[in-house]
Amino acid sequence: MKNIPTYIFLLASFVYGQDQYNSASTQLNNLLSTEKGLSIGGYGEITYNNIEGSSTPAEIDVQRLVMLFAYKFDDRTSFVTEIEYEHVKEVYVEQAFINYAVADGVNLRGGLMLVPMGIINEYHEPTTFNGVERPSLDSKIVPTTWREMGIGISGRINNASIRYQAFLMNGFLSYGESRKLRGSDGLRKGRQKGAESVGSDANFAGRIEYYGLPKLKLGVSYYAGNTQTTAPEMSNTQIGLSMFGLDYRYINGRLSSRGQFISASLKDTEAYNLAGNKDLGSAMGGYYIEGAYNLLPLDSRQKLDLFLRYEDFNTHQKTAGALIANDAFHRNETTFGLSYHLASGAVFKADYQSKGTAVEGSDAIGQFNIGLGVFF
Amino acid sequence: MRFFCILVFISFQLTAQSPRLLKKATKLIEKTYAVDDIQLEYKEFQTNSVVGDFYKIFDSDLLLGYAFIGTAPSKTDTFEYLVVFDSSLIIKKVNVLVYREDYGGEIGSKRWLKQFVGKARSTELTVGKNIAAISGATISVYSMTNAVNQLLNEMNQFENI
Repeated sequence: MKNIPTYIFLLASFVYGQDQYNSASTQLNNLLSTEKGLSIGGYGEITYNNIEGSSTPAEIDVQRLVMLFAYKFDDRTSFVTEIEYEHVKEVYVEQAFINYAVADGVNLRGGLMLVPMGIINEYHEPTTFNGVERPSLDSKIVPTTWREMGIGISGRINNASIRYQAFLMNGFLSYGESRKLRGSDGLRKGRQKGAESVGSDANFAGRIEYYGLPKLKLGVSYYAGNTQTTAPEMSNTQIGLSMFGLDYRYINGRLSSRGQFISASLKDTEAYNLAGNKDLGSAMGGYYIEGAYNLLPLDSRQKLDLFLRYEDFNTHQKTAGALIANDAFHRNETTFGLSYHLASGAVFKADYQSKGTAVEGSDAIGQFNIGLGVFF
Repeated sequence: MRFFCILVFISFQLTAQSPRLLKKATKLIEKTYAVDDIQLEYKEFQTNSVVGDFYKIFDSDLLLGYAFIGTAPSKTDTFEYLVVFDSSLIIKKVNVLVYREDYGGEIGSKRWLKQFVGKARSTELTVGKNIAAISGATISVYSMTNAVNQLLNEMNQFENI
């Protein structure tokens, strides 16, 4: 144990976390972080969900608590981990990769990494998005937090205002003793999360962000590959997946807005569904759009965002063969509420959601949520 | 006591900018002034808020302006930046020299950094007002803005430049 440097780092992270722009702590932080060493951070979400009119009681949950530990060996080499406690009792490793800076703006990266698809999968800390719950598009179509083992390059080209990522990654497990993928949440049950994961086919994941326009950030994501199987000799255990995403984030003074569009197409679902009695769609996708307005003055240390989000997504946009599209999988959600940022890094959230489906004559179901979020 | 010694040692290291950084900064300054062979002369600069070194920029004997090479925090690391002033202390160029961390590197965008050009000592920079926010780079945006603000403020010690 390198006692003293570690101790100083702990102290620095503590002081720094309390008051990010206090000059003394800034300086202390500056003095220390050019040396090699450990940095500690984390984020957490505590949530209350109450479905309207339902006979079930509300759910009150420490939804996630994530500890972030990063170690910097030298200016080029660092190791990043995120260790997650989900619902208090489940432990996951959310990220664990080595980053090696080859040159300015070019990094080699390997290990357990986030799949760069859309906004939320990469930026999922509670202070970075509105709403107690993440957008449902980023749960049912992009299965956040989507992470797999992989290797690749990432970096940025400042002259062109571009950030890029290109990884070879492991993919969803479609078959391991039984078939995992299904209609209601598409690929979600196939996530391997780097836990004794099965690797039969390499997948590609890439993303480009363009930040050259003032106040606006644009993103394009692409993912392609076959799913993984423990029985590659069986023809109906794999599907071919390609997913495409477009997104934007805009901030202008007190106004902010973001939106995302995702489209995925899945091959060979007919044989897969027939063999396993599944109902996986052959195309899925959707979009959301959100606007927010900060009620507090810009030079205030706090922020109070009122927001409204509309989502429309469908895990049965298309179905192959005899499978009839289930209208209950075509969902729309309206969410409105507030995010009260008590300090940069601590947020109180409250919102109301109305969740409907395309089933004829069906009523939307309301849900009330309260949440506390931290990120440091 | 050991704690104190380490602090002193590290802070000593920081005041001497690495040759690589100085070289990069020199190149950028030469480009900014469209002059081939500038000389940087270290200038004493008493500061409590910003971390970095102050230089006079000369083309032979002619004083072109001033440069500050500073260090500021990003979310989990630090970055080095360069601020070039003309001889009347108006900002001529701001550049991110080294950005180590993945998130927040958008502040290196030329379009975004251009917002600092033309700012003088009397200017108060506020994110969202005269400096645009960047989604996903909040901490670095505030850190860079804060650093330039403090630097402008510290420049008031130069009464008769």
